[in-house]
Amino acid sequence: MNNRLRVLRAERAWSQADLAERLEVSRQSVNAIETGKYDPSLPLAFRLARLFETTIEAIFTDEK
Amino acid sequence: MEREIEDSALSRYKKRMFILVVVLALLSQLVFWEFIRHHPTGVLAYLLAVLPALPFIGIMATYALYIAELRDELVRTVVKTSLLWSIVATLSATTLWGFLELLANAPHLQPLLVLPIFGIFLGIATALVNRRYE
Repeated sequence: MNNRLRVLRAERAWSQADLAERLEVSRQSVNAIETGKYDPSLPLAFRLARLFETTIEAIFTDEK
Repeated sequence: MEREIEDSALSRYKKRMFILVVVLALLSQLVFWEFIRHHPTGVLAYLLAVLPALPFIGIMATYALYIAELRDELVRTVVKTSLLWSIVATLSATTLWGFLELLANAPHLQPLLVLPIFGIFLGIATALVNRRYE
């Protein structure tokens, strides 16, 4: 699954650690999601969408 | 924050483990001493013999609690996947060894060794699964 997490994070000048702190997850989690190695659960995807004030579909796409 | 997230479940796990290891050491000493000095038999022997197993059961339950208390879903995924692979490895190894014992006269493997073997596989699996998400 692809995602725009890195772009959204960069727009706000947040580091991975900043985002991890806001999401209350580890930095390793943010990195794994960003690099597409780990697909977050639906609750975490919703938290991401709320944090970036957008929809889940605007962050994640199922395109290869 | 990251450290807090990772450490809260882990620190509780370590505290429980420390207590259980102390209990295990004391109980083992006590039971072995009892068997050496008084040679208990019958029901009493059975009851005393299972006592050192209880902290081991506690250690396994502590690990289950650790997984349940983990807040970071990636860490939980790593732990669960590692557990699955270590179960597969342990069951495969003990099944293989069972046939070696049965058919090829290999030395007997004490069932007590299964838990440490599982622990070794768990350590290896955790390192390998962690690498996938780095």
